[in-house]
Amino acid sequence: MFRRTRAFTLASGLLVAGLLGAACSDDSSDDEEAGSEEESDSGAQTSGGTLAAVVDRGTLNCGVNNSVPGFGFETADGTFEGFDIDYCKAIAAAVLGDPEAVEYIPLTPEQRFPSLASGEIDVLARNTTWTSTRDGAEGAAFVTTTFYDGQAMMVPAASGVTSIDALAGSTICLTAGTTTEQNLADRMAGIQHTPQTFEENAQVQEAFLAGQCDAWTSDRSQLAGIRSNWPADQGGPAALTVLDETFSKEPLGPAVVDGDSEWFDVVNWVVLATIEAEELGITADNLDQMLESEDPAVRRFLGQPVEVEGEEAVVDHGFGVDPDFTVDVIRAVGNYGDIYAAHVGPDSALQIEREGTANALWTDGGLHYSPPFR
Amino acid sequence: MTGGAGAPAPPDVPTPHRGGRLGALAFNVRLLRTVGQVAAIGLLVALAAYLGDNYRANVSERNARTGWGFLNEPTGFNIAFDPQFSPGQPVKDALWVGIVNTAACAAVGIVIATIIGVVVGVVRLSNSWVARKASTLYVEVIRNVPVLLVILFLAAGLQTLPPIDDARSIGDVLVISNRAIAVMSPEAGDNFGLYLGVLALGVVAAVAVAAWRTRVSAATGAPDRRYLWAGGVVVAVAVAGYFLLGAPIVWSHPEVEGRGVVGGAILNIPYVAITLALAIYHGSHIAEIVRGSVQAVPHGQTEAATAIGLSEIQRLRFVILPQAFRIAVPPTINQYLSLVKNTSLGIAVAYSDVAALSFRLIGSSRAPALQMVALLMAIYLTFSLVISFVLNILNRRLQLVER
Repeated sequence: MFRRTRAFTLASGLLVAGLLGAACSDDSSDDEEAGSEEESDSGAQTSGGTLAAVVDRGTLNCGVNNSVPGFGFETADGTFEGFDIDYCKAIAAAVLGDPEAVEYIPLTPEQRFPSLASGEIDVLARNTTWTSTRDGAEGAAFVTTTFYDGQAMMVPAASGVTSIDALAGSTICLTAGTTTEQNLADRMAGIQHTPQTFEENAQVQEAFLAGQCDAWTSDRSQLAGIRSNWPADQGGPAALTVLDETFSKEPLGPAVVDGDSEWFDVVNWVVLATIEAEELGITADNLDQMLESEDPAVRRFLGQPVEVEGEEAVVDHGFGVDPDFTVDVIRAVGNYGDIYAAHVGPDSALQIEREGTANALWTDGGLHYSPPFR
Repeated sequence: MTGGAGAPAPPDVPTPHRGGRLGALAFNVRLLRTVGQVAAIGLLVALAAYLGDNYRANVSERNARTGWGFLNEPTGFNIAFDPQFSPGQPVKDALWVGIVNTAACAAVGIVIATIIGVVVGVVRLSNSWVARKASTLYVEVIRNVPVLLVILFLAAGLQTLPPIDDARSIGDVLVISNRAIAVMSPEAGDNFGLYLGVLALGVVAAVAVAAWRTRVSAATGAPDRRYLWAGGVVVAVAVAGYFLLGAPIVWSHPEVEGRGVVGGAILNIPYVAITLALAIYHGSHIAEIVRGSVQAVPHGQTEAATAIGLSEIQRLRFVILPQAFRIAVPPTINQYLSLVKNTSLGIAVAYSDVAALSFRLIGSSRAPALQMVALLMAIYLTFSLVISFVLNILNRRLQLVER
């Protein structure tokens, strides 16, 4: 009995000593980690060189969504497609000359900004809303907006509801934990309604199908995606109507890490190139004719020699990619109008109208406007 | 890491007889115990210091919000089934709504779970084969599935109730739809305050009558029947007052209006789903506790009761159940506590309990996560401590009666 007690005491003494030792060594290793973190942080911020890193690596690391039809979606055979995916391809085409040289990295909403800050991804193209706090506090730099989204309301077509004001007294379903709830409260101020907040879109869909919801609110692009996938035995997309009114501003566009202005310029001007190409009427189909064009604006845009004071010269933009990067971009994905039509436009599954909305070109009364290429 | 520091020592263990003062010291049990305890306390302090430092460093690095000022800032969103709540009200008001919702779910859940538990627990010991097997089936199935599954199963079932467009009305008494179930409920009419006064007088009169009956009984030996007498007085006063004051209580009838139900007592489906599911789940556990407690009463008690000629009902009522009850109270308190905590699963059926609201506040950046979660833990701790406090008093009083 005595021996056992003694051994037990000794063993517990040793255990405590071991724990103490472990705690001490934990402390020291933590210090080391903190030190190395600082080093890598400063390294990423001072050298900037994302462009050089991408060229060295030979692939572009693009942070994307893999579950939103039309914007970023991973198909059953593992390929990615969508509006945001096309911008990954466009950037890869401009920088590396190959639209397929992209490593797609699917991210959750919580992962996206840390991934960008740590350098795991070179560009974030994951239907992300540009807001002041994300620009300021999250260390992201947003380039030109590619899709002007906003919160909208979806109702069963059979309900005959045509305006949000007619939803007084209704149950409106949505998912929790986003600005969606606050936008809804702002819009429905003074209108009695029941906001039913679920955790996931799948739950909302179930409740909606059971008739527990009169309306479903979310970003218009998301609602369009949900509508396009509505079960056929429930009437398919025709069973739902997305109301015309948009009641919040959700400008979506690619973002890069703060503090690398060279890389920011490249990504920004790739986006602008798709917009300018549409304004100039250049598409993937007529690109070869356009290369022969005499129009100096078109020639400058495509990086072709232009006569300036009797001399033929190519405009050098000065942001580290060939002046004819626009040709690679247009050949890879087409102009803005082509990208829009292919993934989200009226003839795609999502059927989001473009005419008369903010997503039209400025010449058609929309917001897409590119500064000149010269 | 533990092995690294501890590894060189073990060879000492099997050779304790090397002698010498140091050797003796190493096997001084009292000394080792003291050193061990000091080391344990040191370890705890070091851990707390490390965590505190970690917290401070991360808060300053992320510019996270500190302090409790967020409680007074506007909530920014509406809360389902609380039309009085407006988005401009501060976060603390939203939390209060959540606390009330949690309490409403927990209180009703506990009552229903107890009723289910006692009935099923006793039925499991009944002589009827069908009743015994049916209650066994209920207990074994429900007790052995995760509570979340019970909740989701019930919620899915409630979804199949008629949609609001063709809600079932049963007379003017009941409206059933998959958004809300509403029953006719009493409401204050004219002279309601006066009527309450009359009822209070009736209760006083009833107490007096009961006391008088007790005296009569003591004096004459006649059965007192004081509950019958007192109840009669209350009913007589209530009925007489009702007619004399011209319907001081009116009935509110539920009906479908627009896209919802108005009037009557309205039970929203998320509330029904989470409350009933928790009652069913914890009811199965309480049933087991009741069965076990009844069986834990020594068999001699039953034999003794039979021997003095008590009927089966009398045996249960006067001998078995009072003793079983005492055994059942402590484990039942545990069930109540776990029911209260499980109300946080209401988030699965879109019920706005205090946990769900807290997470929504964090998600919409209205509350800093660390403070909010700490506050949430404090809220549940308060709920649990209040319940244990009240029930432990009950438990102590019951134990005192034991002879």
